[in-house]
Amino acid sequence: MARNKVDMDESLQSQFNIKQVGRLYKSYIRPHTKELVITIILMLISSALGMLTPMILKTIMDDLIPAGNIKGIVLICLLLLSINIICVSILRMKITITTKLGQSIIHQIRQDIFTHLQELPFSYYDDRPHGKIQVRVVNYVNSLSDLLSNGIVNTFTDLCSLFFIIGFMLSLNVKLTLVCLCGLPVLATLVFVIKRKQRVSWQIMSNKSSNLNAYIAESISGIRVTQSFVRENENIKIFNRLSNEYRSSWMKAVMYNFLLPPAVDNISALTTSAIYVLGVSWLSGGLEAITAGTIIAFTGYIGRFWTPISTLANFYNSLLTALSYLDRIFETIDEPVVVKDTPGAAEMPPIRGDVEFRDVKFSYEEGVRILNGVNFKAKQGQSFAIVGPTGAGKSTIINLISRFYNLDSGQILIDGIDINTVTIRSLRKQMGVMMQDSFIFSGTIMDNIRYGNMEATDEQVVTAAKTVCAHDFIMELEDGYNTHVNERGTRLSAGQRQLISFARALLADPKILILDEATSSIDTETEILLQQGLARLLKNRTSFIIAHRLSTIKNSSCIMYVDKGNIQEMGTHEELMERKGAYYELYMSQYDFLDK
Amino acid sequence: MTALKWFFSFLKKHRTRIALGLLLVTICSALAIVNPYISGIIVDDVIGGGAYELVGKLVALLLLTTLLRSVTRYLYLYCFESASQRVLFDMRDHVFRRLMGEDFTFYNKNRTGDLMSRLTGDMDAIRHFVAATIYLIYESILLFSFAFVMIVTIEWRLALCIVIFLPFTVITAKKQLKAIAPAFANIRQRFSSLNTFVQENVSGNRVVKAFAKEDYEIEKFNKENDAYMEAQLTSTAMWRKYVPIFEFLSSLLTVILYLVGGIMVVQGNMSLGKLVTVSGYLWMLNDPLRSVGWRGNDVQNFATSCKKIYTTITAQPNITEPARPYVKEKLRGRVEFRNVDYAANNDVILHDINFKVNPGQTVGIIGATGSGKSTLMNLLCRFYDVTGGEILIDSMNVKKYNLYSLRDNIGMSMQDVFLFSDTIEGNIAYGKPNATFEEVKHAAVISDADGFIMKMPDQYDTIIGERGVGLSGGQRQRISLARALLKDPSIVILDDTTSAVDMETESHIQDSLHSIGERTVFIIAHRISSIRDADLILVMDEGRICESGTHEELLEKKGYYYTVFNHQYGEFDKIQAQKKGGTP
Repeated sequence: MARNKVDMDESLQSQFNIKQVGRLYKSYIRPHTKELVITIILMLISSALGMLTPMILKTIMDDLIPAGNIKGIVLICLLLLSINIICVSILRMKITITTKLGQSIIHQIRQDIFTHLQELPFSYYDDRPHGKIQVRVVNYVNSLSDLLSNGIVNTFTDLCSLFFIIGFMLSLNVKLTLVCLCGLPVLATLVFVIKRKQRVSWQIMSNKSSNLNAYIAESISGIRVTQSFVRENENIKIFNRLSNEYRSSWMKAVMYNFLLPPAVDNISALTTSAIYVLGVSWLSGGLEAITAGTIIAFTGYIGRFWTPISTLANFYNSLLTALSYLDRIFETIDEPVVVKDTPGAAEMPPIRGDVEFRDVKFSYEEGVRILNGVNFKAKQGQSFAIVGPTGAGKSTIINLISRFYNLDSGQILIDGIDINTVTIRSLRKQMGVMMQDSFIFSGTIMDNIRYGNMEATDEQVVTAAKTVCAHDFIMELEDGYNTHVNERGTRLSAGQRQLISFARALLADPKILILDEATSSIDTETEILLQQGLARLLKNRTSFIIAHRLSTIKNSSCIMYVDKGNIQEMGTHEELMERKGAYYELYMSQYDFLDK
Repeated sequence: MTALKWFFSFLKKHRTRIALGLLLVTICSALAIVNPYISGIIVDDVIGGGAYELVGKLVALLLLTTLLRSVTRYLYLYCFESASQRVLFDMRDHVFRRLMGEDFTFYNKNRTGDLMSRLTGDMDAIRHFVAATIYLIYESILLFSFAFVMIVTIEWRLALCIVIFLPFTVITAKKQLKAIAPAFANIRQRFSSLNTFVQENVSGNRVVKAFAKEDYEIEKFNKENDAYMEAQLTSTAMWRKYVPIFEFLSSLLTVILYLVGGIMVVQGNMSLGKLVTVSGYLWMLNDPLRSVGWRGNDVQNFATSCKKIYTTITAQPNITEPARPYVKEKLRGRVEFRNVDYAANNDVILHDINFKVNPGQTVGIIGATGSGKSTLMNLLCRFYDVTGGEILIDSMNVKKYNLYSLRDNIGMSMQDVFLFSDTIEGNIAYGKPNATFEEVKHAAVISDADGFIMKMPDQYDTIIGERGVGLSGGQRQRISLARALLKDPSIVILDDTTSAVDMETESHIQDSLHSIGERTVFIIAHRISSIRDADLILVMDEGRICESGTHEELLEKKGYYYTVFNHQYGEFDKIQAQKKGGTP
């Protein structure tokens, strides 16, 4: 799929895919069959008892009162009360079980979608606004709750009672029953006619809600830019447009849903009328052997026939609504995991730190080569610096070491082992990566550093912070290491955030350390201190560094100049300066301004 | 104002729609009473009594009322649904406006996911209330009162039995509302927390993967997910005590009516016919009574969400418009900081900052991480307000300007580049949505971004992801720079904007920056090369300006700046010699 932006609808699947329902049942509902059956039995008992009530009342009116049997009345009222108490207890049980059922299913779906999201590659997150991913895990899944709790149970119960009623009706009079059933095809036709439109309009609705959600997410995350560019009013306009689109799509969809219950009502009234008319004509014409009593009894059941159908129609409505969410949920769960463990992948043994690229070719999009046959070997403990113009593929090279992407061809070997043959987790766990974008989670600073190694003690965290010269400023914060920072660390300066994510990377005690413009926002003084502290730490580690301040990388064991998808020059600082090539030009250019 | 009053101020705007809806509900309920009545006549008189000639008329009447009822019902559903959507639209607009107006301090305190929940999940509870709960409650009251009045006219003593039930119902309902309130608040809390967790996980997906922390995230997520489910189940455990009580009360009412009525008939105090009529009204008493518990849940759910939204937006922003704001189309760009202090949370961040800049001058700012460089610029844009001293632009205190006209004159490229999931063109034109393509391209050329943009598959129409992932750091910075320049601001702030850009590109950018007319430029940087040409260089340390002057002056001072210079260019002499030797 092409990249998606906030106001762009995601693709629609217009087919009513009943398979989705089957899948929902198989994967999520079936494990709860036992609870489901119990509830349905309880509900059937309850509705059977419910059917006794009119009979009891009839006895009071027809027999006991005319007979003046007060004792009888009291007794039968007590009977009625005990029946009701049973029904109420069943209701209580039903509430408990169905809520549990619905919530467990939702819990499971949410867990599945989240777990799967963790497996998905960067590109999945890069291709769509984050709000659209989030809405699937939280809001969409929530929207299923009603369907999955009351919906299922009521449907089964209603279906059962529907068959009961039809049985009753058949035993009373076959012809009248058939007349009554005639209403069903009419209803089915109507359902069929509006189904497609209804389905599409709900899909549009879910799309619009996703757009709105994505816009909210982005507006909040980007508020600083918005305010500094005085874009508030423009954004409010866009927001209101999206909000309005959502509103009209909702209205359109919901009005389709509202069509169904009146349709059931009218069809029910029609069949009832037909039965009255037929019954009367039979009675008056004497064509059929039927008694007035039979017809009266029969009409008593018609109501009970249409009530469950009405609830089923409602269930159908919520099912269609839910399907528009379910599509998206399953779509996410089905999103193929591109970068995954090869079958039979072994655990990566403890890394020593030799890294080798063998004719590595790579492209993000087909046809646009980013790396074109990269070859190099880094020995354990060496530090490799990568320089070159922006967009030359520097970050790409180091991203491939962690196997964030799959290669087009060639091999990357660590300690002589092709990284494709080991599990991704065992590989990444042994690497410390510090990215351009230093993400801070909301929580304490301690938690944020400890993210690199959950088992680390407080002392180890502090040591790591000291190594990266972050200790001093942390101690100056009001609660020291326990100071709460916000998501993206808005309370910290960019340099401070970089230091914290540096400490985080170090705490992981990686054998391979990757620093991608990790110190760009750190002042030179701190950087020098940092390097002194690091020198000792880096001794037995292989490191890859991308930096634009050449003073940062001058002392590296090896400097690679990357351009046009390949390594143009490679060697130590001195060697490259000797060579007077691209690196030399780059290095000298930083002094150009001094000559001005 | 309370949360509910706040809500009603929105509802009031759509009162005609709601009144019309309620009227239609009244008609519909009346018709609901008519239908069983007609059926009754058909069954009793026509079929049972043999008055066959009436059947045609009665059936036609039955069909007509059903149709009429369907139509009114459809209409009132429409009324309430559209009213609820309108209320929601207005509320969202209101909340969103407030969020746009809140200052940085607010955003430092509130998590993105929590704020999102206010605009999504919490709004949905309000939607349900307006779209359904209101008319359901009204319908219940209507039916119940109608039946009650009818029973009073038939037999007032039976009506007394019903009255006895009312206090029980009211007390239980009150108890329920009180009991479930914390449980419902807990659900909203958990929802918000879950939302925040997922939001951060999605935003931080790169870090999660880099540290192979998927298992840890899943484990944490499971805790959130469990807690949310637990909250749901706990609240169910609370309200399932109450819902059946109403169910029971309603059946108890039936039993009592029959018992008392039956005895009265037997004792000759009432006719059997009257009891039959009363029992015909019974469902109108039972259904509303039964639904009290469910409606209680709806109301509490609504009230909780309403309160949550309201408390979020009542925080008054600290940064406010002056009473008589001064609007200036175009500032000249003279900037002066006079004894500026800034402290937050009792933490002194800036102390006694003094400097002056003339229009067209460039100021370079260098200093240790966390020394207050960015804060200096945030104060200039009034993202925060000074706690002491004053900042003057064109000799007027920044607090006197119209906030928007002030910020509109300042083009800021931030340290932490945030790009929107939009096309590159849309991102550059962010500050000036009506900019022509030529203007966009021009800004991109100045910031040296045009070259790489033109190499992309869809060039300026390429959609970039949120936070510009998919672009390198340097590319992002250059887009952000183009965005700042497009506004043609009098004051340009480059906060560490070229840190990820190679030096050649940087010097190119600086050259073109000077070529595009007079403007005051602030450059925060760590590379000497970025600020060397500045008219004034400020060296910051622990919230103070410790050195200031031009490049040459500062080198002579042999202070902090000199040290930094030596670290970066220590080899200068050697290089000079090499250069002279190498290229005669």
